[in-house]
Amino acid sequence: MSRPNPNAAGGGLLVVGKDVPRTDAVPKVTGAALYVADLNLPGMLHAAVLRSPHPNARIVSIDTSVAEAMPGVKAVVTGNDTARRKWGAFRPDLYPLAIDRVRYVGDEVAAVAAGDPETARAAVDCIVVQYEVLPAVLSLDAALAQGAPLVHDDTPGNIAHQFDFERGDVDAGFKASDVIVEGTWESARQWHTSLETIGCVAQWTSGRVTMWCNTQTPFLARGRYATALGVPEGQVRVIQTEVGGGFGGKSGDDNASVICAILARKAGRAVKLIHTREEEFLASHPRMPMRYWVRLGFSKDGHILAKEIKMWADNGAYTGKSQAILGAATVRHDALYKYPNARAHSTLVYTNLVPTGAFRGFGNPSADWAVEQAWDLAADKLDMDILDLLRMNAAEPGHTSPHNHKVTSCELKQCLDLTAKMIGWKKKRNDKKPDHGLGMGCSVHVNGRRSFGDWDGSSAIVRINEDGRATVITGEGEIGQGNLTVLRQIAAEQLGLPYEDVDITRPDTDVHSHSLGALASRLTYVAGNAVKNAAEAARTQLMAAAAEQFELPAEELTIIDRQIGPVRGSETAFKPVSAVVRANIYKRNGQPIVGVGNFDNPSDFPDHSRYGNESGAYNFTAQAVEVEVDRATGQVTLLEVASTVDCGTVIHPAAAEGQVQGAVTQGIGLAMIEYFDWYNGAPTDPQLKDYPLPGAAMMPKMHVAFADSYEPSGPYGAKGLGEIGLDAIPAAIANAVADAVGVRITELPITSEKIHRALHPELYANEKTAPPAAPKGSTWVRLGAGKPSGARPPEAELVFATSVEDTVAQLAAGDAMIVSGGTAHALRRERSGFPFAKRLIAIGRVPELNQLAIDGRGMLSAGAAVHQQRLYDNARLRQDWQAIDDALDAVGHTRVRRMITVGGSLGPLIGGFDLPVALLALDARVTVAGPGGRRTLSLEEAFKNRFAKHEMVVNFEVDPMPARTGSAFFKYMARGVLEIPTVNTAATVGVDAGGNCSKARVVVGSVSWKPIILDLQQLIGQRLTAEMLYEAVQGVREKAEPMADVRGSVAYKREMAVEFAARALITAWQRATQKLKPNN
Amino acid sequence: MLVKFKINGDPVEVRLKSGDRLLVDVLREDLKLTGTKHGCGIGACGTCTVIIDGEPIASCLQLAALCEGAEIKTIEGVAGAAALHPIQQAFVDKSALQCGICIPGHVISACALFEKTPHPTDAEIRASVDSVYCRCTGYSRIFDAYREAMALMSKAGKA
Repeated sequence: MSRPNPNAAGGGLLVVGKDVPRTDAVPKVTGAALYVADLNLPGMLHAAVLRSPHPNARIVSIDTSVAEAMPGVKAVVTGNDTARRKWGAFRPDLYPLAIDRVRYVGDEVAAVAAGDPETARAAVDCIVVQYEVLPAVLSLDAALAQGAPLVHDDTPGNIAHQFDFERGDVDAGFKASDVIVEGTWESARQWHTSLETIGCVAQWTSGRVTMWCNTQTPFLARGRYATALGVPEGQVRVIQTEVGGGFGGKSGDDNASVICAILARKAGRAVKLIHTREEEFLASHPRMPMRYWVRLGFSKDGHILAKEIKMWADNGAYTGKSQAILGAATVRHDALYKYPNARAHSTLVYTNLVPTGAFRGFGNPSADWAVEQAWDLAADKLDMDILDLLRMNAAEPGHTSPHNHKVTSCELKQCLDLTAKMIGWKKKRNDKKPDHGLGMGCSVHVNGRRSFGDWDGSSAIVRINEDGRATVITGEGEIGQGNLTVLRQIAAEQLGLPYEDVDITRPDTDVHSHSLGALASRLTYVAGNAVKNAAEAARTQLMAAAAEQFELPAEELTIIDRQIGPVRGSETAFKPVSAVVRANIYKRNGQPIVGVGNFDNPSDFPDHSRYGNESGAYNFTAQAVEVEVDRATGQVTLLEVASTVDCGTVIHPAAAEGQVQGAVTQGIGLAMIEYFDWYNGAPTDPQLKDYPLPGAAMMPKMHVAFADSYEPSGPYGAKGLGEIGLDAIPAAIANAVADAVGVRITELPITSEKIHRALHPELYANEKTAPPAAPKGSTWVRLGAGKPSGARPPEAELVFATSVEDTVAQLAAGDAMIVSGGTAHALRRERSGFPFAKRLIAIGRVPELNQLAIDGRGMLSAGAAVHQQRLYDNARLRQDWQAIDDALDAVGHTRVRRMITVGGSLGPLIGGFDLPVALLALDARVTVAGPGGRRTLSLEEAFKNRFAKHEMVVNFEVDPMPARTGSAFFKYMARGVLEIPTVNTAATVGVDAGGNCSKARVVVGSVSWKPIILDLQQLIGQRLTAEMLYEAVQGVREKAEPMADVRGSVAYKREMAVEFAARALITAWQRATQKLKPNN
Repeated sequence: MLVKFKINGDPVEVRLKSGDRLLVDVLREDLKLTGTKHGCGIGACGTCTVIIDGEPIASCLQLAALCEGAEIKTIEGVAGAAALHPIQQAFVDKSALQCGICIPGHVISACALFEKTPHPTDAEIRASVDSVYCRCTGYSRIFDAYREAMALMSKAGKA
């Protein structure tokens, strides 16, 4: 501890530091909490938005006439219905709806309000836009090229902003350096992917609009929305609903709320607009990717002497907060270590890509991704343990960065020590296991930042009411971090009242005073101080009232258990707080107890070069990661992550720990799994299918600790911590991978394929790459092809079939489709809006199709309507047919297995599905029924020749497994989370009584149109080894014809097909030989 | 078409606009049971999970018409009139929530697990937690809530 901690001395704290029940807990666990999508106003309409399918195009014409004429449509709006005014946080460059030009795939062009969401969506589909497609700049390099097309005609060179400065003498620093490291790192887009998308409900009354928004920053949003709407700020009222996750993505930069208000104005009705998941990926403001070159110079004993960076950041088509993010990524890191000199040149570049914006970390993660890896390189070159190198250079209290960031409290060294201890750094370093690695990374963050003018303050009111309860009145809001809870704790502590007696309000711009809201990790520190001051003011008034009533000096009075009385008075001398307040009101010239508190961050408004102490306090973290790398696949398993955060006093330990755990998890997502495949400036499939989030199953063992720290300027010594837990994670993982297998990943994300390529370059030496193919299926692709549907999707009729023959007859009648579990149809409808067919024949109630049996001979049969969970619940099935068991496990969770049926898995004959791949290895047969009767054929033959028209699957059959025969199934998901496999394989291997191979069959799915099936006759009679099995599947490489996608390149998928074919065979063989042993 | 089922014990009849209307839309739009959340529309995130005849189901992939005669339980049917369900209490006690949008899905998934398996193993808990995304918590405290719920229910069972 660098400073004494007043909290530790005498008395202690009653509420601060305790895990009190969260303010928002009960509404959230009961489903009662009202998020914006849950609001339903009388007569409310539903909105849908038409977006640009082109990254850059001139709008030639928009024809809305068909949409306007559709029954149920109440308003259609285009740029002509707007004030034609550009808006944006720092650099107004965005129209609410496009005027003449679209600049990215997703740019808003028109919108519809209708009586129900389906009609609105259908109407949008009927708007015809004629575009003149223009050349687009789809990368930093393209945008910066000589003569590149301009994203905005008024911005030459596509350069939206630049910083260029030197602090100290950097050249001298490098000249004096003994060791210099440098490199270029590329960071990545990451979507906030709040599970609640951006949305708004807007309603105009008497010329004013009320907007219920899930915004993090209601007041800043109001100001910008007013500009965009072209009305005075006073005509806009923003009310914050429950916010289902923000992370920076709901800080008032989106067009959605503005369009909602424009529609509501035109329709004269309340309108609800909720982004679909696809829209959220196309048109929210993901993390800004940067190309970050850094050079560091050190003395030979490891002291940092100089730092230089050159950085280019991909702004996307519109700026939002990106120039502030650019600034943070340029200077913030330099308060972390004792840099004496620093030089920076950073450039914000317009591209025809999705606009980027604020995301937890605000530029820090991109800077840390580069610089924290450069420090790791330096440690290698200096032959020092990175832990010792960072410790030697760590910022300390009293340190001032080259940009005049004044570090007050700072326990970075303590963070490093605690983190190292939690993960077992020294021991694991000394006893290094093969392919295991450790990585470290640190970060620094602000607690609020003077950004929007020379004020980073907060104002709060605390009332002590006539019922004895207190109310905290603040417009700062809650987005899930626990802020409302923390502010109540601070108020209760300061008032001396129980936590449960303190209430708190939610932001409403008509009620509260101006508040900046949830950004820059500011709320605990800035809003906390304001609330503390307000509570102190209220308490002073209360004690003055009590002093008058007790006729004693205020200092001689105390509050104990909701009662006020003399410090050494008897119990009977006390009276309730409520009585004191009431008596203070009900008297001549009486008044309520209302305390006002203000706090302005003791920081400086940075100058144009970002020089100035941007925050009154800084928080710090040190994070360590342990990984294991599978050299055969490149897959990284995260074993442990340890984080220590210096956030001063911890107000609510559970919420604080949750912030760090959640931030770490997002850091893992950014580092390893959250990325798309791109085509023509947009993700090929903007859904959670191609963009998975970290799930519980992939989570490492997570350690979280808080440094013993006290910030003198913070409320009860507290600082913020909302963002910092994410920042260093990607770099720490990269450092750990480098430690494990010597591969240094410099471009996010850290994928299995990149590591595999680096470990086995010879396998890729003859690679031929094809240009990316146009994706199929999504709405915007169809619109890009200039084919608005022009029709309302037909409604479907669903009928329950009574028998197999009835089903066949209904199918043969035409325009019909079987639904079994119904998932395929639900997915299709969600995607295209159109049903498979007019009539859906539900087969779930046909008794024959629900049969699941293992007969006397041991043959397994399962009907088409049997769902996979029923197979999974059958212990004998899972024990005897291990490949099926593996496949059922791999397909997902109970809720997935419960919906997917045998018929749905086999009927479409898709080789990437799990169950058919397992069944093919087991020589399964399938019985189908058609207009010509029934027939039974091998599943292999079915894949070869397909089913006939109007044939349906009745069931599958699998023979009992012969003695000494094992089977296995593998699903390789390269990102380590549940998704479509990179490859799935299954095998059956039998051995004779002597242990020699009697059967070897392997199936490889997902890497060709039909599954690859190999009966490995050459192995029969042989005594198998793992090497022989690897050798036997080498031919898979040539047979595989995979499609390159987000799950891997063609070459990588080929290699994985071979690898997992071998693994399936080896496991099946091991299982077979286990059955040789006497006890099995 | 008309579909009849029970929601949280109450019989309901819904006239479906289309035979392929999704259960999540019936719940949220037709019945105004907005506790069930719509997260992704493709069965990936699990926030829309409800219990149908004892099994957890993603209501965004469930055709409502196929629920004819089913017993459906949503988040609105979990708590008693006077008190939270022990699973909900455990989420409160462990602060196992942040923004809360996924929490109905997590609570419902926990209900489905505990109804079938009163004493699940850590692996079973992990599989259940893994079936619903959470963008905020990193899952650690949700695991704790499952274990706490098991303890609360064991205690209640003994009392």
